[in-house]
Amino acid sequence: MKGIGRELQELFRYREFLLNLVSNELKLRYRNSALGFLWAILNPLFYLLILAVVFSKIIKFEIEHYTIFLLSGLTSWMMIQQTVTIATASIVNNQGMIKRIYVPKMAFPLSNVLARYIDHLILTLILFVFMILYHIRFTWYLLLVPLILLMHFFFSLGLSLVAAVVNIKIRDIQHIVAIIFQALFYVTPIIYSTEALPEKYRPFFILNPFYYFVESFRFPVYYSSFPPIKIFLVALFLAMFSFAAGFYIFYKKEKYFVFYLS
Amino acid sequence: MKETAIRVSSVGIRFSLNLNGGARLKSDGFKALGALFSRQKKREFWALRNIKLDIKKGEIFGVIGGNGAGKSTLLKIIAGIYPATEGEIEVRGNIAPLIELGASFNPELTGTENIFFAGSLYRIPRKVIRENFDRIVDFSELRNFINSPVKNYSSGMFLRLAFSMVIFFKPDIVLIDEVFSVGDEVFQQKSFEKILSFRTEGATILLVSHDLNLISQICGRVLVLNRGVESFLGPPEEAVKHYHHVITSREDAAIATGAEGQQAASIDSRRWGNRQVEITSVRFVDESGNAKHDFQTGDYFEAQISYLSRLKDRRPVFGVAISTVYKLLIYGPNTLEKELKGEFKEKGLVRFIIPKLPLFEGDYLFSAAAYDSSLSQAYDHHEMMYHFRVLGYGAREFGCVRIDSRWEIESA
Repeated sequence: MKGIGRELQELFRYREFLLNLVSNELKLRYRNSALGFLWAILNPLFYLLILAVVFSKIIKFEIEHYTIFLLSGLTSWMMIQQTVTIATASIVNNQGMIKRIYVPKMAFPLSNVLARYIDHLILTLILFVFMILYHIRFTWYLLLVPLILLMHFFFSLGLSLVAAVVNIKIRDIQHIVAIIFQALFYVTPIIYSTEALPEKYRPFFILNPFYYFVESFRFPVYYSSFPPIKIFLVALFLAMFSFAAGFYIFYKKEKYFVFYLS
Repeated sequence: MKETAIRVSSVGIRFSLNLNGGARLKSDGFKALGALFSRQKKREFWALRNIKLDIKKGEIFGVIGGNGAGKSTLLKIIAGIYPATEGEIEVRGNIAPLIELGASFNPELTGTENIFFAGSLYRIPRKVIRENFDRIVDFSELRNFINSPVKNYSSGMFLRLAFSMVIFFKPDIVLIDEVFSVGDEVFQQKSFEKILSFRTEGATILLVSHDLNLISQICGRVLVLNRGVESFLGPPEEAVKHYHHVITSREDAAIATGAEGQQAASIDSRRWGNRQVEITSVRFVDESGNAKHDFQTGDYFEAQISYLSRLKDRRPVFGVAISTVYKLLIYGPNTLEKELKGEFKEKGLVRFIIPKLPLFEGDYLFSAAAYDSSLSQAYDHHEMMYHFRVLGYGAREFGCVRIDSRWEIESA
């Protein structure tokens, strides 16, 4: 426990560095592009548009306010998927620095996650704009959203930490992670609702951790209600467990990273 | 003053060499994973073992040794880049690692952005960076490029910026690993003087170098590493001697790398001549003849050059030279130009006296030589083999030498 306290303290001492990493990432991603930071909004928006057209106009899902339904699921999904995909390579991508200078290594995955979260907070704001456009009621349940976003944050941070560690030794992980997410996208109720599934497949959802996050996020936004308590608690547990495990594994291994980077 | 800056207690580091190349540390967690993918035989070795150091605040400490002796590894352990397999490292104060310059730079960012970015990596508050910003830029001589991305810099510019940015933050401890290849000669000299000036502010300097001249000139103590273990620890002159002993006594001296060969040559290149007159020692003393190493501006300065002569009837010409540590000659008088008073015998002492030392704060190199009267034949030449120091006294004049001068004003 003492070591973990020291780790957090170290991150705090390097907070300015951490913030610089985040701002570098945001700054550099859109530097030299004419629309600049606007792409942070346009990108998910076009993705949403494509999916919305395909699944509500071409393949007709009978879901009311499909755009909101889709966007709420997508926001939750991308928050985890994009973050973890990027952060998996965080240590390997910064190996030049890690090998040459002392730096608290957790700052790298953490900065990736933080930078992505700034994008996703914007995405959440877009979601609210769409809710106004579609005349969705703003209810008190929306106050749950910050807490649920925080759960997403810790869940994806935990996954990122583990993935970043494993990726050092086995570089294939960053590709595997991308494929796993592609597959999971279709077995998570993002573009369709759980009810649309045949009864016999439903037990499989229980095994998919992303299911709990998508549902937790969607309920207050789309259904204007508290998420089913079981789903919410599982998501909460997964967030805490993922973070604790990721932090611990990373903390245990970070000293040795330097020997595995080349 | 006797406060410890760096304490290294029985430190060792073990690497395991994979057959496919890279040196890797054996750690149990990764072993399990690694076993899934590779079943290579590993050869373990201790890159460093049982290293004990107690480096005091304000000390200039040198580390020498052949290639693969563990010098850089030691520096990296102290810098916190490598974890020690055994033992403890204790560091008091901020470290400025001049190990691999520019490691903290992001090539996509501009010079300005990188100064702030790298500054945060050294935990320099933004405010301090802002205050020093102009000085950093001026020192680096990159004013015109400071707002273009660093990736467009030449490697010299890159290093200059990296160096300037590190040294302006008044670190407590400076770790230097052969970095004096920064930029052109003038910039090198400037950088070097800047680093030496840290010491007067109480900074500790740990220097790893192949340049034995440099090491023996500026270091107070020197550690000689041989294959990861301490081989000698003590005064620089003895350390250098010991180092040569180690190098030459090695059975595999024949396959010693080129770099080591050059070092051996470099000590020889500091002394030449046919030794018909031999300079046996050079020491610096004060008025009463007591040995002295640190002088003040305006002090009485005397260099005593002991010699042995095999000449029958001729008199040699003695000469000395004072240079900056960066080998810029300040003054080089000899006894042709100013006659040497007194009788010349086959054994004796030549005294070179400066009644009032006009040098300012800094480190200086001293050469002594004996030549024939035409100055074409060297009897014994000791090129920059000696070192003395002038301590600061808070003068508001700048430079390395006081030139007799005065100011006048006239109202127009």
